[in-house]
Amino acid sequence: MLRSLTAKAVVPVASAVTGFVIVCCLLLYSFIQGDLVDGAIQREVSLADTIIKSTHYSMLKSDRESLRHTISHIGRQQGVEHVRIFNKKGLIMFSADPAEVNREVDTRAAGCVECHAGPEPSASLGPMEQARRFTNEQGRHVLAITAPIFNEPGCSSGGCHFHLPEQKLLGTLDIGLSEEPLRETLATLRGRMALFCLMVLLLSVGGVCALLRRNVLLPIRELVGYANALRAGETQPLPPEGCEEIETLGRAYQELNRRLRQTTAELEKARDKGADRAGNPLPGEPPAP
Amino acid sequence: MTSPGPRTASSPRAGLPGPGERRREIETRIRRLHALANRGLWGLAIFILISIGAQRNFSFIPEISPEIRALLGPSPPIKLISIALAVYAFSALILILSRMMSGSNSYRGWSHLGYLSAFYAFYYYGEALQQNFWAVFAAGITILGLEYYQIWTHCAEALRKEKQLLASLGTPSDA
Repeated sequence: MLRSLTAKAVVPVASAVTGFVIVCCLLLYSFIQGDLVDGAIQREVSLADTIIKSTHYSMLKSDRESLRHTISHIGRQQGVEHVRIFNKKGLIMFSADPAEVNREVDTRAAGCVECHAGPEPSASLGPMEQARRFTNEQGRHVLAITAPIFNEPGCSSGGCHFHLPEQKLLGTLDIGLSEEPLRETLATLRGRMALFCLMVLLLSVGGVCALLRRNVLLPIRELVGYANALRAGETQPLPPEGCEEIETLGRAYQELNRRLRQTTAELEKARDKGADRAGNPLPGEPPAP
Repeated sequence: MTSPGPRTASSPRAGLPGPGERRREIETRIRRLHALANRGLWGLAIFILISIGAQRNFSFIPEISPEIRALLGPSPPIKLISIALAVYAFSALILILSRMMSGSNSYRGWSHLGYLSAFYAFYYYGEALQQNFWAVFAAGITILGLEYYQIWTHCAEALRKEKQLLASLGTPSDA
Protein backbone atom coordinates (compact mmCIF):
# COMPACT_ATOMS: atom_id res chain seq x y z
CA MET A 1 0.00 0.00 0.00
CA LEU A 2 2.88 2.37 0.88
CA ARG A 3 4.39 1.79 -2.58
CA SER A 4 1.48 3.49 -4.32
CA LEU A 5 1.95 6.99 -5.68
CA THR A 6 -0.87 8.34 -3.50
CA ALA A 7 0.72 7.05 -0.30
CA LYS A 8 4.18 8.27 -1.28
CA ALA A 9 2.89 11.74 -2.05
CA VAL A 10 0.30 12.17 0.69
CA VAL A 11 1.89 10.49 3.77
CA PRO A 12 4.90 12.87 4.15
CA VAL A 13 2.86 16.01 3.43
CA ALA A 14 0.01 14.96 5.71
CA SER A 15 2.41 14.01 8.52
CA ALA A 16 4.43 17.23 8.24
CA VAL A 17 1.33 19.47 8.11
CA THR A 18 -0.44 17.57 10.91
CA GLY A 19 2.59 17.61 13.17
CA PHE A 20 3.39 21.27 12.60
CA VAL A 21 -0.20 22.42 13.07
CA ILE A 22 -0.45 20.40 16.32
CA VAL A 23 2.87 21.82 17.61
CA CYS A 24 1.78 25.38 16.78
CA CYS A 25 -1.65 24.89 18.36
CA LEU A 26 -0.10 23.48 21.55
CA LEU A 27 2.37 26.36 21.76
CA LEU A 28 -0.35 28.90 21.02
CA TYR A 29 -2.55 27.32 23.69
CA SER A 30 0.34 27.50 26.16
CA PHE A 31 0.89 31.20 25.28
CA ILE A 32 -2.80 32.04 25.66
CA GLN A 33 -3.07 30.04 28.89
CA GLY A 34 -0.09 31.93 30.30
CA ASP A 35 -1.57 35.28 29.23
CA LEU A 36 -4.97 34.46 30.74
CA VAL A 37 -3.42 33.33 34.04
CA ASP A 38 -1.24 36.46 34.14
CA GLY A 39 -4.34 38.59 33.49
CA ALA A 40 -6.26 36.80 36.25
CA ILE A 41 -3.35 37.35 38.67
CA GLN A 42 -3.16 41.05 37.76
CA ARG A 43 -6.91 41.40 38.37
CA GLU A 44 -6.58 39.60 41.69
CA VAL A 45 -3.68 41.85 42.72
CA SER A 46 -5.86 44.89 41.90
CA LEU A 47 -8.71 43.38 43.89
CA ALA A 48 -6.41 42.77 46.88
CA ASP A 49 -5.15 46.34 46.59
CA THR A 50 -8.75 47.61 46.53
CA ILE A 51 -9.58 45.57 49.65
CA ILE A 52 -6.50 46.86 51.49
CA LYS A 53 -7.29 50.46 50.53
CA SER A 54 -10.98 50.17 51.40
CA THR A 55 -10.20 48.63 54.80
CA HIS A 56 -7.40 51.09 55.48
CA TYR A 57 -9.56 53.43 57.53
CA SER A 58 -11.01 50.61 59.63
CA MET A 59 -7.50 49.31 60.28
CA LEU A 60 -6.26 52.79 61.19
CA LYS A 61 -9.10 53.23 63.65
CA SER A 62 -8.73 49.64 64.81
CA ASP A 63 -12.43 49.14 64.02
CA ARG A 64 -12.35 45.36 64.18
CA GLU A 65 -16.12 44.94 63.90
CA SER A 66 -16.30 46.92 60.68
CA LEU A 67 -13.25 45.07 59.31
CA ARG A 68 -14.79 41.71 60.19
CA HIS A 69 -18.01 42.64 58.37
CA THR A 70 -16.15 43.87 55.30
CA ILE A 71 -14.09 40.67 55.07
CA SER A 72 -17.18 38.55 55.65
CA HIS A 73 -19.11 40.34 52.87
CA ILE A 74 -16.24 40.01 50.43
CA GLY A 75 -16.01 36.30 51.27
CA ARG A 76 -19.67 35.81 50.37
CA GLN A 77 -19.09 37.13 46.85
CA GLN A 78 -19.54 34.52 44.14
CA GLY A 79 -16.17 33.12 43.05
CA VAL A 80 -14.33 34.15 46.24
CA GLU A 81 -13.05 30.96 47.84
CA HIS A 82 -11.32 32.50 50.83
CA VAL A 83 -10.25 35.88 52.16
CA ARG A 84 -8.26 36.36 55.31
CA ILE A 85 -5.92 38.81 56.98
CA PHE A 86 -3.16 37.51 59.16
CA ASN A 87 -0.65 39.38 61.26
CA LYS A 88 3.12 39.38 61.00
CA LYS A 89 3.39 36.27 63.17
CA GLY A 90 1.09 34.34 60.84
CA LEU A 91 -1.96 34.36 63.10
CA ILE A 92 -5.25 34.72 61.21
CA MET A 93 -6.95 37.85 62.59
CA PHE A 94 -9.89 38.17 60.18
CA SER A 95 -11.37 35.64 57.82
CA ALA A 96 -14.55 35.10 55.83
CA ASP A 97 -14.62 31.67 57.47
CA PRO A 98 -14.96 32.35 61.24
CA ALA A 99 -13.52 28.89 62.02
CA GLU A 100 -10.15 30.02 60.70
CA VAL A 101 -9.76 32.99 63.05
CA ASN A 102 -6.87 32.71 65.54
CA ARG A 103 -5.43 29.78 63.62
CA GLU A 104 -1.74 29.98 62.78
CA VAL A 105 -0.56 29.84 59.18
CA ASP A 106 2.30 27.52 58.25
CA THR A 107 5.12 29.68 56.82
CA ARG A 108 6.29 26.71 54.74
CA ALA A 109 2.95 26.41 52.97
CA ALA A 110 2.52 27.60 49.36
CA GLY A 111 1.93 31.34 49.29
CA CYS A 112 4.06 31.88 52.44
CA VAL A 113 7.26 30.05 51.53
CA GLU A 114 8.00 32.52 48.68
CA CYS A 115 8.75 35.25 51.26
CA HIS A 116 9.85 32.98 54.10
CA ALA A 117 12.34 30.89 52.10
CA GLY A 118 15.40 32.68 53.52
CA PRO A 119 16.35 33.48 57.12
CA GLU A 120 14.96 37.02 56.68
CA PRO A 121 11.45 37.13 55.16
CA SER A 122 11.29 39.15 51.96
CA ALA A 123 8.99 42.17 52.03
CA SER A 124 8.69 42.69 48.29
CA LEU A 125 7.60 40.20 45.66
CA GLY A 126 6.35 40.69 42.12
CA PRO A 127 2.66 39.93 41.44
CA MET A 128 3.54 36.59 39.77
CA GLU A 129 5.51 35.42 42.82
CA GLN A 130 2.64 36.41 45.11
CA ALA A 131 0.28 34.08 43.26
CA ARG A 132 -0.28 30.40 43.87
CA ARG A 133 -2.59 27.83 42.31
CA PHE A 134 -3.90 24.90 44.28
CA THR A 135 -6.91 22.67 44.92
CA ASN A 136 -8.67 23.48 48.20
CA GLU A 137 -10.28 21.05 50.66
CA GLN A 138 -13.57 21.23 48.75
CA GLY A 139 -11.74 20.03 45.64
CA ARG A 140 -12.10 23.38 43.86
CA HIS A 141 -9.23 24.90 41.88
CA VAL A 142 -8.14 28.20 43.42
CA LEU A 143 -5.92 31.02 42.24
CA ALA A 144 -4.79 32.88 45.34
CA ILE A 145 -2.52 35.80 46.04
CA THR A 146 -0.99 37.15 49.21
CA ALA A 147 -0.66 40.93 49.39
CA PRO A 148 1.45 42.51 52.11
CA ILE A 149 -0.05 45.28 54.28
CA PHE A 150 2.78 47.75 54.78
CA ASN A 151 3.33 50.10 57.68
CA GLU A 152 2.49 53.73 56.88
CA PRO A 153 3.18 56.97 58.76
CA GLY A 154 -0.46 57.08 59.89
CA CYS A 155 -0.22 53.58 61.31
CA SER A 156 2.90 54.14 63.39
CA SER A 157 1.76 57.51 64.75
CA GLY A 158 -1.90 56.65 65.35
CA GLY A 159 -3.27 57.38 68.78
CA CYS A 160 -5.53 54.37 69.12
CA HIS A 161 -2.93 51.70 68.55
CA PHE A 162 0.59 51.92 67.26
CA HIS A 163 3.23 50.10 65.32
CA LEU A 164 6.91 50.83 65.51
CA PRO A 165 8.08 53.03 62.60
CA GLU A 166 10.85 50.53 61.73
CA GLN A 167 8.29 47.71 61.37
CA LYS A 168 7.92 47.34 57.60
CA LEU A 169 5.11 44.84 57.41
CA LEU A 170 1.94 44.83 59.52
CA GLY A 171 0.20 41.83 58.09
CA THR A 172 -0.87 40.04 54.93
CA LEU A 173 -4.09 39.80 53.01
CA ASP A 174 -4.68 36.38 51.46
CA ILE A 175 -7.43 36.13 48.87
CA GLY A 176 -8.30 33.15 46.72
CA LEU A 177 -10.64 33.20 43.74
CA SER A 178 -12.17 30.21 42.01
CA GLU A 179 -10.34 29.13 38.86
CA GLU A 180 -13.50 27.62 37.37
CA PRO A 181 -14.30 30.56 35.00
CA LEU A 182 -10.70 30.53 33.77
CA ARG A 183 -10.80 26.77 33.30
CA GLU A 184 -14.10 27.02 31.39
CA THR A 185 -12.58 29.67 29.10
CA LEU A 186 -9.52 27.45 28.51
CA ALA A 187 -11.72 24.41 27.82
CA THR A 188 -13.70 26.42 25.24
CA LEU A 189 -10.43 27.60 23.72
CA ARG A 190 -9.12 24.02 23.57
CA GLY A 191 -12.26 22.86 21.79
CA ARG A 192 -12.11 25.71 19.27
CA MET A 193 -8.42 25.15 18.61
CA ALA A 194 -8.96 21.42 18.11
CA LEU A 195 -11.74 22.23 15.64
CA PHE A 196 -9.55 24.77 13.86
CA CYS A 197 -6.69 22.25 13.78
CA LEU A 198 -9.00 19.63 12.25
CA MET A 199 -10.30 22.06 9.64
CA VAL A 200 -6.76 23.14 8.63
CA LEU A 201 -5.72 19.51 8.37
CA LEU A 202 -8.76 18.51 6.32
CA LEU A 203 -8.26 21.48 4.03
CA SER A 204 -4.53 21.01 3.50
CA VAL A 205 -4.45 17.21 3.28
CA GLY A 206 -7.72 17.13 1.32
CA GLY A 207 -6.43 19.86 -1.00
CA VAL A 208 -3.18 18.01 -1.68
CA CYS A 209 -5.07 14.74 -2.27
CA ALA A 210 -7.61 16.40 -4.60
CA LEU A 211 -4.98 18.24 -6.65
CA LEU A 212 -2.79 15.17 -6.83
CA ARG A 213 -5.71 13.02 -7.96
CA ARG A 214 -6.91 15.55 -10.54
CA ASN A 215 -3.51 16.48 -12.00
CA VAL A 216 -1.38 13.37 -11.57
CA LEU A 217 -3.24 10.22 -10.67
CA LEU A 218 -6.14 10.44 -13.16
CA PRO A 219 -3.91 11.31 -16.17
CA ILE A 220 -1.56 8.44 -15.20
CA ARG A 221 -4.54 6.09 -14.95
CA GLU A 222 -5.68 7.23 -18.41
CA LEU A 223 -2.18 6.64 -19.74
CA VAL A 224 -2.13 3.16 -18.22
CA GLY A 225 -5.53 2.47 -19.86
CA TYR A 226 -4.20 3.76 -23.18
CA ALA A 227 -1.06 1.57 -22.96
CA ASN A 228 -3.22 -1.45 -22.09
CA ALA A 229 -5.51 -0.74 -25.06
CA LEU A 230 -2.49 -0.61 -27.39
CA ARG A 231 -1.18 -3.85 -25.93
CA ALA A 232 -4.58 -5.50 -26.43
CA GLY A 233 -4.32 -4.65 -30.14
CA GLU A 234 -6.89 -1.87 -30.42
CA THR A 235 -6.14 -0.01 -33.60
CA GLN A 236 -7.10 3.59 -32.93
CA PRO A 237 -7.34 4.39 -29.21
CA LEU A 238 -7.03 8.11 -28.44
CA PRO A 239 -4.03 9.22 -26.35
CA PRO A 240 -4.91 10.94 -23.02
CA GLU A 241 -5.20 14.74 -22.93
CA GLY A 242 -5.07 17.48 -20.32
CA CYS A 243 -1.54 17.25 -18.92
CA GLU A 244 1.44 18.18 -21.09
CA GLU A 245 3.84 15.48 -19.89
CA ILE A 246 1.20 12.77 -20.09
CA GLU A 247 0.14 13.95 -23.57
CA THR A 248 3.78 13.78 -24.75
CA LEU A 249 4.11 10.30 -23.28
CA GLY A 250 0.82 9.25 -24.94
CA ARG A 251 1.93 10.58 -28.33
CA ALA A 252 5.26 8.76 -27.94
CA TYR A 253 3.36 5.51 -27.26
CA GLN A 254 1.15 6.22 -30.28
CA GLU A 255 4.18 6.79 -32.52
CA LEU A 256 5.89 3.68 -31.15
CA ASN A 257 2.74 1.69 -31.78
CA ARG A 258 2.41 3.09 -35.32
CA ARG A 259 6.03 2.18 -36.15
CA LEU A 260 5.62 -1.24 -34.62
CA ARG A 261 2.52 -1.87 -36.72
CA GLN A 262 4.28 -0.57 -39.82
CA THR A 263 7.30 -2.80 -39.20
CA THR A 264 5.05 -5.77 -38.49
CA ALA A 265 3.11 -5.10 -41.72
CA GLU A 266 6.33 -4.83 -43.71
CA LEU A 267 7.61 -8.05 -42.22
CA GLU A 268 4.29 -9.75 -42.99
CA LYS A 269 4.47 -8.47 -46.55
CA ALA A 270 8.07 -9.67 -46.93
CA ARG A 271 7.13 -13.05 -45.52
CA ASP A 272 4.16 -13.34 -47.90
CA LYS A 273 6.42 -12.37 -50.79
CA GLY A 274 8.92 -14.98 -49.69
CA ALA A 275 6.19 -17.59 -49.48
CA ASP A 276 4.93 -16.63 -52.99
CA ARG A 277 8.45 -16.96 -54.35
CA ALA A 278 8.82 -20.34 -52.76
CA GLY A 279 5.56 -21.51 -54.35
CA ASN A 280 6.26 -20.00 -57.88
CA PRO A 281 10.02 -19.81 -58.40
CA LEU A 282 11.30 -17.34 -61.01
CA PRO A 283 12.90 -18.78 -64.18
CA GLY A 284 16.41 -20.01 -63.35
CA GLU A 285 15.63 -20.20 -59.59
CA PRO A 286 15.59 -23.65 -57.94
CA PRO A 287 12.21 -24.58 -56.34
CA ALA A 288 11.94 -24.37 -52.57
CA PRO A 289 12.58 -27.67 -50.78
CA MET B 1 26.72 5.28 2.38
CA THR B 2 26.01 5.46 -1.31
CA SER B 3 22.78 4.35 -2.88
CA PRO B 4 23.16 1.08 -4.72
CA GLY B 5 22.09 1.66 -8.28
CA PRO B 6 20.51 -0.89 -10.62
CA ARG B 7 22.89 -3.64 -11.60
CA THR B 8 22.73 -6.38 -14.14
CA ALA B 9 23.83 -9.92 -13.71
CA SER B 10 26.76 -10.50 -15.99
CA SER B 11 28.85 -13.55 -16.55
CA PRO B 12 32.18 -13.57 -14.72
CA ARG B 13 34.91 -12.03 -16.76
CA ALA B 14 38.58 -11.44 -16.07
CA GLY B 15 38.97 -8.71 -13.39
CA LEU B 16 35.28 -8.83 -12.37
CA PRO B 17 34.13 -10.56 -9.16
CA GLY B 18 32.54 -13.94 -9.56
CA PRO B 19 28.87 -14.67 -8.73
CA GLY B 20 29.73 -15.95 -5.23
CA GLU B 21 31.64 -12.82 -4.36
CA ARG B 22 28.94 -10.60 -5.84
CA ARG B 23 26.32 -12.46 -3.85
CA ARG B 24 28.29 -11.84 -0.66
CA GLU B 25 28.66 -8.15 -1.54
CA ILE B 26 24.92 -7.83 -2.13
CA GLU B 27 24.14 -9.62 1.13
CA THR B 28 26.46 -7.24 2.98
CA ARG B 29 24.70 -4.27 1.37
CA ILE B 30 21.32 -5.75 2.32
CA ARG B 31 22.45 -6.07 5.95
CA ARG B 32 23.68 -2.46 5.90
CA LEU B 33 20.37 -1.27 4.47
CA HIS B 34 18.44 -3.15 7.18
CA ALA B 35 20.65 -1.52 9.83
CA LEU B 36 20.13 1.92 8.24
CA ALA B 37 16.36 1.43 8.18
CA ASN B 38 16.44 0.40 11.87
CA ARG B 39 18.26 3.63 12.83
CA GLY B 40 14.99 5.54 12.45
CA LEU B 41 13.28 3.17 14.86
CA TRP B 42 16.12 3.52 17.36
CA GLY B 43 15.88 7.29 17.15
CA LEU B 44 12.14 7.19 17.83
CA ALA B 45 12.55 4.71 20.70
CA ILE B 46 15.24 6.84 22.41
CA PHE B 47 13.11 9.98 21.99
CA ILE B 48 10.10 8.23 23.57
CA LEU B 49 12.31 7.16 26.51
CA ILE B 50 13.54 10.75 27.00
CA SER B 51 9.93 11.95 26.74
CA ILE B 52 8.80 9.54 29.46
CA GLY B 53 11.44 11.12 31.70
CA ALA B 54 10.32 14.62 30.70
CA GLN B 55 6.68 13.74 31.36
CA ARG B 56 7.71 12.89 34.94
CA ASN B 57 9.52 16.24 35.09
CA PHE B 58 12.87 14.38 35.30
CA SER B 59 12.05 13.42 38.89
CA PHE B 60 14.77 10.73 38.80
CA ILE B 61 17.55 13.32 38.53
CA PRO B 62 18.47 15.59 41.45
CA GLU B 63 16.92 19.06 41.43
CA ILE B 64 19.04 21.97 40.25
CA SER B 65 20.50 23.58 43.34
CA PRO B 66 20.28 27.38 43.85
CA GLU B 67 24.09 27.54 43.55
CA ILE B 68 24.02 25.95 40.09
CA ARG B 69 21.13 28.22 39.12
CA ALA B 70 23.12 31.22 40.27
CA LEU B 71 26.08 29.95 38.24
CA LEU B 72 24.04 29.33 35.08
CA GLY B 73 21.97 32.48 35.40
CA PRO B 74 18.28 32.96 34.68
CA SER B 75 16.57 30.82 32.05
CA PRO B 76 15.62 32.40 28.72
CA PRO B 77 12.01 33.65 28.58
CA ILE B 78 9.60 30.74 28.04
CA LYS B 79 7.96 32.55 25.12
CA LEU B 80 11.34 32.81 23.40
CA ILE B 81 11.94 29.06 23.87
CA SER B 82 8.49 28.34 22.41
CA ILE B 83 9.14 30.60 19.40
CA ALA B 84 12.49 28.84 18.89
CA LEU B 85 10.68 25.47 19.03
CA ALA B 86 8.16 26.56 16.37
CA VAL B 87 10.94 27.91 14.09
CA TYR B 88 13.01 24.75 14.64
CA ALA B 89 10.05 22.43 13.87
CA PHE B 90 9.21 24.39 10.73
CA SER B 91 12.77 24.42 9.36
CA ALA B 92 13.38 20.77 10.29
CA LEU B 93 10.21 19.66 8.45
CA ILE B 94 11.10 21.73 5.38
CA LEU B 95 14.61 20.22 5.34
CA ILE B 96 13.30 16.67 5.71
CA LEU B 97 10.78 17.19 2.88
CA SER B 98 13.49 18.66 0.65
CA ARG B 99 15.78 15.69 1.40
CA MET B 100 12.87 13.38 0.55
CA MET B 101 12.44 15.23 -2.72
CA SER B 102 16.12 14.90 -3.63
CA GLY B 103 16.14 11.18 -2.70
CA SER B 104 18.90 11.61 -0.13
CA ASN B 105 19.74 8.62 2.08
CA SER B 106 21.23 10.46 5.04
CA TYR B 107 19.67 10.08 8.48
CA ARG B 108 19.72 13.22 10.65
CA GLY B 109 17.66 11.81 13.50
CA TRP B 110 20.53 11.87 16.01
CA SER B 111 21.02 15.63 15.74
CA HIS B 112 17.24 16.15 16.03
CA LEU B 113 17.31 13.99 19.15
CA GLY B 114 19.89 16.38 20.58
CA TYR B 115 17.88 19.50 19.68
CA LEU B 116 14.66 18.07 21.11
CA SER B 117 16.39 17.02 24.34
CA ALA B 118 17.79 20.55 24.57
CA PHE B 119 14.24 21.94 24.34
CA TYR B 120 13.15 19.62 27.17
CA ALA B 121 16.19 20.78 29.17
CA PHE B 122 15.45 24.48 28.58
CA TYR B 123 11.79 24.09 29.59
CA TYR B 124 12.89 22.09 32.63
CA TYR B 125 15.35 24.78 33.64
CA GLY B 126 12.69 27.46 33.07
CA GLU B 127 10.22 25.39 35.19
CA ALA B 128 7.72 25.28 32.34
CA LEU B 129 8.15 21.69 31.18
CA GLN B 130 4.71 20.52 32.25
CA GLN B 131 2.92 23.23 30.24
CA ASN B 132 5.04 22.69 27.11
CA PHE B 133 5.76 18.97 27.21
CA TRP B 134 3.16 18.02 24.59
CA ALA B 135 4.41 20.65 22.13
CA VAL B 136 7.98 19.25 22.23
CA PHE B 137 6.63 15.70 22.13
CA ALA B 138 4.44 16.40 19.06
CA ALA B 139 7.36 18.16 17.34
CA GLY B 140 9.68 15.23 18.11
CA ILE B 141 7.28 12.54 16.97
CA THR B 142 6.59 14.41 13.72
CA ILE B 143 10.23 15.17 12.93
CA LEU B 144 11.65 11.77 13.91
CA GLY B 145 8.65 9.99 12.36
CA LEU B 146 9.28 11.74 9.05
CA GLU B 147 13.02 11.05 9.30
CA TYR B 148 12.18 7.38 9.84
CA TYR B 149 9.71 7.37 6.95
CA GLN B 150 12.29 9.01 4.66
CA ILE B 151 15.06 6.56 5.50
CA TRP B 152 12.65 3.61 5.49
CA THR B 153 11.25 4.38 2.00
CA HIS B 154 14.77 4.88 0.69
CA CYS B 155 15.98 1.61 2.21
CA ALA B 156 12.87 -0.32 1.07
CA GLU B 157 13.50 0.84 -2.51
CA ALA B 158 17.21 -0.02 -2.36
CA LEU B 159 16.45 -3.41 -0.73
CA ARG B 160 13.99 -4.25 -3.47
CA LYS B 161 16.67 -3.55 -6.08
CA GLU B 162 19.30 -5.56 -4.19
CA LYS B 163 16.93 -8.51 -3.82
CA GLN B 164 16.13 -8.40 -7.54
CA LEU B 165 19.85 -8.40 -8.23
CA LEU B 166 20.37 -11.31 -5.87
CA ALA B 167 17.58 -13.23 -7.57
CA SER B 168 19.10 -12.55 -10.98
CA LEU B 169 22.34 -14.17 -9.82
CA GLY B 170 20.40 -17.37 -9.17
CA THR B 171 20.74 -19.78 -6.24
CA PRO B 172 24.22 -20.57 -4.84
CA SER B 173 24.07 -24.03 -6.43
CA ASP B 174 23.69 -22.41 -9.89
CA ALA B 175 26.99 -20.64 -9.40
